[in-house]
Amino acid sequence: MIVLNDIHKHYGRVRANDGISLTLEPGQIYALVGENGAGKSTLMRVLAGHTRPTSGTIEIGGETISYLTPTLARERGVGMLYQDPLDFPAMPVWENFQLGAPKRTKQEVIDVIGELSYRLDACFLPDEPVSSLTVGERQLLELLRLLDLGATTLILDEPTTGITPEQKQDLFNLLMKLAREEQHTIILVTHKLSEAYELADSILIMRQGALVSTLQPPYNEKELVTLMFGEAAEGVEDELPQLPPAGPTPRLAMNDTHFAGPKYSMGPMNFIAQPGECIGLAGLDGSGQELFLRGICGLDRMPRGVMSLDGKEYRSNDFNTLRRAGIQFVPADRLEMALFPALNLMEHIKLAFPDRRGDLTEFYETQCVESFNLRAHPDTNASELSGGNQQRLLLSLIPDDSSLLLMEHPTRGLDAGSARQVWNHLKGRCAKGASLIFFSPDLDEVLEHSHRVIVFYDRAIAGIVDREHATMDIVGALMAGKPISELMETTR
Amino acid sequence: METFGLTIAAILVAGAPLVLATLGETLTEKAGIINLSLDGSILLSAMVAFAIATTFDNPWLGVLGGMAVGATIAGVLGLIGIYLGQSQLAVGFVLTLLCRDLAYFLGHSFSRQPGPNLGLWHIPGIGEITLFGPIFASQSPVVYMGLAAIFACWWWMYRTEGGMRLRAVGESPRAAFGRGIRVRLVRLCYCLAGGALVGMAGAAFSLAVKPGWGRPQGCEGAGWIVLAIVIFGGWHPVRAALGAFFFAALQVSGIYLQEIFPSIPAPVFQVAPFPMMILTLLAVNMGRQGWVQDIVRRHPFLKKFSNAWSIDAPAALGQDFDPKKGL
Amino acid sequence: MKRDSLLEQIGWLGAAIALALLLTIIVTLPSGAPPFETIYVLFKGGVGSMSKIGRVLASWVPLTLCAVGLLIPFTARLWNIGVEGQVIMGAIFCAGAMRPFDEGGMLQIAIAIIAAMIGGALWALLAGLLRVFGRVHEIFSGLGLNFVALGITLWLIFGPWRRPGVASMSGTQPLDMSLWLPRLGKLSVSWVGLALTFAAIIVIYILMHRTEWGLKLRAVGENPKAATLFSLGPRRRLLQSFMICGALAGLAGAVQVLGVYHRLLPAISSNYGYTALMVGMMASFRLGLVPFICLFFAILNVGSIQLPLQMGLDSSLSGVIQGIMVLSVFIVQGLRLWLNNKREAG
Repeated sequence: MIVLNDIHKHYGRVRANDGISLTLEPGQIYALVGENGAGKSTLMRVLAGHTRPTSGTIEIGGETISYLTPTLARERGVGMLYQDPLDFPAMPVWENFQLGAPKRTKQEVIDVIGELSYRLDACFLPDEPVSSLTVGERQLLELLRLLDLGATTLILDEPTTGITPEQKQDLFNLLMKLAREEQHTIILVTHKLSEAYELADSILIMRQGALVSTLQPPYNEKELVTLMFGEAAEGVEDELPQLPPAGPTPRLAMNDTHFAGPKYSMGPMNFIAQPGECIGLAGLDGSGQELFLRGICGLDRMPRGVMSLDGKEYRSNDFNTLRRAGIQFVPADRLEMALFPALNLMEHIKLAFPDRRGDLTEFYETQCVESFNLRAHPDTNASELSGGNQQRLLLSLIPDDSSLLLMEHPTRGLDAGSARQVWNHLKGRCAKGASLIFFSPDLDEVLEHSHRVIVFYDRAIAGIVDREHATMDIVGALMAGKPISELMETTR
Repeated sequence: METFGLTIAAILVAGAPLVLATLGETLTEKAGIINLSLDGSILLSAMVAFAIATTFDNPWLGVLGGMAVGATIAGVLGLIGIYLGQSQLAVGFVLTLLCRDLAYFLGHSFSRQPGPNLGLWHIPGIGEITLFGPIFASQSPVVYMGLAAIFACWWWMYRTEGGMRLRAVGESPRAAFGRGIRVRLVRLCYCLAGGALVGMAGAAFSLAVKPGWGRPQGCEGAGWIVLAIVIFGGWHPVRAALGAFFFAALQVSGIYLQEIFPSIPAPVFQVAPFPMMILTLLAVNMGRQGWVQDIVRRHPFLKKFSNAWSIDAPAALGQDFDPKKGL
Repeated sequence: MKRDSLLEQIGWLGAAIALALLLTIIVTLPSGAPPFETIYVLFKGGVGSMSKIGRVLASWVPLTLCAVGLLIPFTARLWNIGVEGQVIMGAIFCAGAMRPFDEGGMLQIAIAIIAAMIGGALWALLAGLLRVFGRVHEIFSGLGLNFVALGITLWLIFGPWRRPGVASMSGTQPLDMSLWLPRLGKLSVSWVGLALTFAAIIVIYILMHRTEWGLKLRAVGENPKAATLFSLGPRRRLLQSFMICGALAGLAGAVQVLGVYHRLLPAISSNYGYTALMVGMMASFRLGLVPFICLFFAILNVGSIQLPLQMGLDSSLSGVIQGIMVLSVFIVQGLRLWLNNKREAG
């Protein structure tokens, strides 16, 4: 049994955890739900010994201590699985497995991996570098490693991001087995209520750094939503705008196009997008959707093929030319890729609209404050903005006449209110005739906001599915590599 | 055959300090720390090694002194760069200039003085063996030190638990911390170990390869070449050592070329390794250029070569890590 | 985070100076020299008389030109270590441009200065091209090119440009008096050099803080990937920043040839490039501090010439002190950071 007692964790003025007390029993599956920024991950890092709490105590194994280190946590049987696996991609499977464990020979390690894999129905080649595995496989390997270290309390931070529905089902079955048969404590950190319903014996709800409630089944969805989002739960999400009838010139047409990135290349691809269309990209990490977006905007090369935009043909995809032609790219990693951390908002406006002369204060008011509700002083540095405000800033920097928006995970790290605002804005642009191509590791989000879904598998387009056919089952199967012909037959 | 053997022997000697320093820097960088102070470190440790050897009339004490100096400089870099969170590149660069000037300042009274050196080791009974004989029958100890260090580094990095941890902190300090490895301490340790090897290289210069101390000593610029060789060597000790011998071979061939083309002034040959250094780095990074990748994709059999040619740096090279901030 | 008060800042500065003094004494102990007397001789040698102050200013001019120039590539987060070689290249181009003239006046001097700036800029461009298109880190390209520039100087002095009869380290045939930069009164510094340096400081200030170019360069330095997304042309801008720095370094080379040595010699750059890098680091690349630190470093450089004469010590002590000062600033900055973090956590 683990008891957390009045845990506080403050980062400067931000109170990520504000006095949390919690008891975890063996053999139980808990779901820790809350919005982005509610403090779920921080609390779990405290429990895994990866962060020291500002104050509070942890009672574990009959002992009361003020903080854990990774080593102490391991000795007490606590193991944590991160959303992006915390492993060493360049190193082989067996070394990843061994690092942090008591000393053994390579052969012993290989034997242990083989035995555990057999028990849990997995397969790993010990000398393969971890970088060649999928995110799902890397998570499974981490899970095996934690079990081998004797972990009896397993924390899984958003484990279903970036894996197929099938892999998710396998993972959930495994977790269920570990809790029921081996009396492990499982804590599933998630922002998806559906996962919590499916698995949890009790749901812990966090909001703004505090544990607001613990619920037991049967769950009342309305109560849960209100507890989780508070007032933000109210609010309307716009419908996906009706697709206008296809005109003579498509917005984007790709003709036997090849793209080549630093890690891999793909092609030939043929594809047409219409004005006003929202197109979602689905696929496991590294299946090609990233290169697809980066290729269209010209950040990665187009060695062969042709691309046309509004009827104008481009044989090479020069970024600046395409940008002038109306293509805008918004990366998922906003602060790392798209903003200048130590420049202020006004300077961003100056850089984004170089043709605008004179006083930009008024422009800032209309562009950022009024249309985006970006409540920050123009002297604020980009690094001091919250994730939601960063995305608002980026969207406000996109000129109104842009015709094709390419977005990587538009709502990454945003709370529900901000996410809804972002989607309403994007849909508004589509209704005015702009096209949107986006991807998200959250399959629900892709299905909800797309007229069509392009599924990528193994660095190629596996299939293009209409809205009416785009169900979790079909898209999930395509993502896992089932051929489209087979799937379409079974649905008929 | 005889001259060939002697040429090889000359390359081995000229390459020994480069190999030692390259291995040292490879260890440090594999742990994620860039020690840019190499050029100054080598000079200062060369000076101290010579001074100690002269004062105590014992060259091996000089080697130890050189190693201590190298480790101390690396320790300063480690403390400021790892624990005080300052830019490793900036601190390393300042240390380079500082140590160079310090070497000239403190070594003033040892300048152009006669002093002991490490001499040669004679191995009886192998003189008659073809090729091997002329190379190893009577050879400087630094050559054996260099060759032993290559094997030791390779074995430590790829065959031991400690080496696994070393690579882990250089690949992903966050993940290493999550596995209970004390990232900063491990990094500091390899900083010190690498620095000691660099110091040994300095001693090898002033006590064997270019015996004596003076201004210039003759090893100016070697540290920069070593930093480039580490990149060329793809952070692998064996390949890095081959790179070091390649540059030594260039130096040796420069001496021959100078005899063949007496009209070209000597300074031209002295700076020749530096454009070579730039060209080598240019060539190593070529595999990352888009057009090269296109060719490779069209001819898959080239893939093996291009993969082996352009090796990625340790993923966390030069990034600092503060465990207090958590993951 | 609130800014520290002025008093606190001065306190930290004092701590850095005390630390530097302490470290200097420690590392120079093995030389057996009396530390305080040595430091006294050093400073007296720098500011003891008008002629010495003139020499300090003559040394301040090229040092400041290089250090101010370095701010530009550093704003783009580039380490132009090749600045030393760019000074040398400037000197070579300057000497080359002067070769046809046996005598002349301001016109010839102006031509030589422009040639020097072009030479420095081209040499910097080479390092920039290697960085931008060849993916060779500018530390290596710059450093390698420094040695190459030195090699070219030596080759010219011993080869095509050697003095009739003698080819020696003492350099090429001296320039005619009429081609020298005019001096400031009896001091060994030229008013032209001083004027150009002040002009350079002002131009760099305007460029960095008052123009769109400066803002864009800062953006490129902050985040090159985002700069690509904003179509700021990061590659072109990096090359431009290198070339501006190279041109100022070339100008420093010209001042060395026309105002100080009046010929090309192997030690023409006097290590000003490397010293300027130290100045930049010590000033944390803040323009306002650069001229003052340059002045201090110039005093050390000039004063150290007295050391071999009066104390029998090597003149490289000035470099040692400069290095220790920069290191002390780093240590004090690190301690401040550490204390701040601790205060925030506790």
